[in-house]
Amino acid sequence: MPDLLAGGTRFHVQHIKGDGPTVVFLHGLVLDNLSSFYYTLAGPAAATGAEVVLYDLRGHGRSERPPTGYDVRDAVADLVAVLGALGIDRPVHLVGNSYGGVIALRAALDRPDLVAGLALIEAHATGDWIDRMSDTLAVAALGLEHDRVPEQLRRLGARKEARMAATADALLNGTTLIDDLAATPPFGPAELASVRCPVLALYGEHSELAGAGRDLGLHIPDCTVHVLPGLAHTVLREATAEVRDLLLDWLGRP
Amino acid sequence: MTPDGILSEIAEMLVDVVGEEILLVGELTHDTSFNDDLALESIEFVALAERLQLRYGERVDFMAFLAGMDIDEIMGMTLGDLTDHIAASLALESSRA
Repeated sequence: MPDLLAGGTRFHVQHIKGDGPTVVFLHGLVLDNLSSFYYTLAGPAAATGAEVVLYDLRGHGRSERPPTGYDVRDAVADLVAVLGALGIDRPVHLVGNSYGGVIALRAALDRPDLVAGLALIEAHATGDWIDRMSDTLAVAALGLEHDRVPEQLRRLGARKEARMAATADALLNGTTLIDDLAATPPFGPAELASVRCPVLALYGEHSELAGAGRDLGLHIPDCTVHVLPGLAHTVLREATAEVRDLLLDWLGRP
Repeated sequence: MTPDGILSEIAEMLVDVVGEEILLVGELTHDTSFNDDLALESIEFVALAERLQLRYGERVDFMAFLAGMDIDEIMGMTLGDLTDHIAASLALESSRA
């Protein structure tokens, strides 16, 4: 069933069984959800025989939205709870897009026993992204509240946009997400040097996170960095076929 | 199961996924499109596919059906396109039985 109770929270989960390695997909923040993997990488990964797990993060997509519990360690605890509730007890490969990559990296550092490998797509790993992102989200939150954007969009008949704005409003103004995110510690060189599993890191050539890709390659012992030419942050959406091929090659390597 | 029967099942599932507001667009027909008419979010289409998979089980392989399309092609489908695929899968299955 798509609804799974894990650690006291209800998660919207897709679990496709297979005999191959277990691949768990972690999506990005606020307006993202499991659908960005469902329509791109999940099907091809499942077709190789992998066991595939997709879930909507706490507060996102069709999962429950508790008022608290949005820092990166809470997200790792949620991941561990979801895997436990699914009865998965062998190390898994984590595929994280954007902020999902931060969760994946944190999981590999805190629970190396559970993580066999990491594929990070445009992950906010190093640099001052935390300050910039929490500032951006705080401004968005104020705008949503003061301008009553969801209501105005509904009046204009833009129902999809109204629902998305309402989702963002509920998450940014109704939970501790922004404060929790602002308290996220960045990954330092020593921490990155202690990552024991193999890592594939994909970044867009023009992404403002490209420096994070260089840091990962510099400090993580077993890290393959691949830069996708001509692209910025949205590589999963704009270079789906290339990302898919790189991921499947990497999963299939001995 | 007739195409009209499948269509009315899909309509019920859409109300379940999106809420009663989906009915504000008017009658759901074979020509109603997921994106242009229903403004369905991609995560809502995932939830619809889950309900269809639960309803039809292995008789209809939605993952394989969707894997052949990108997100814009999927959301560009009409209810009729989806209904036709389900009807064809069910017909194939009963001809094998």
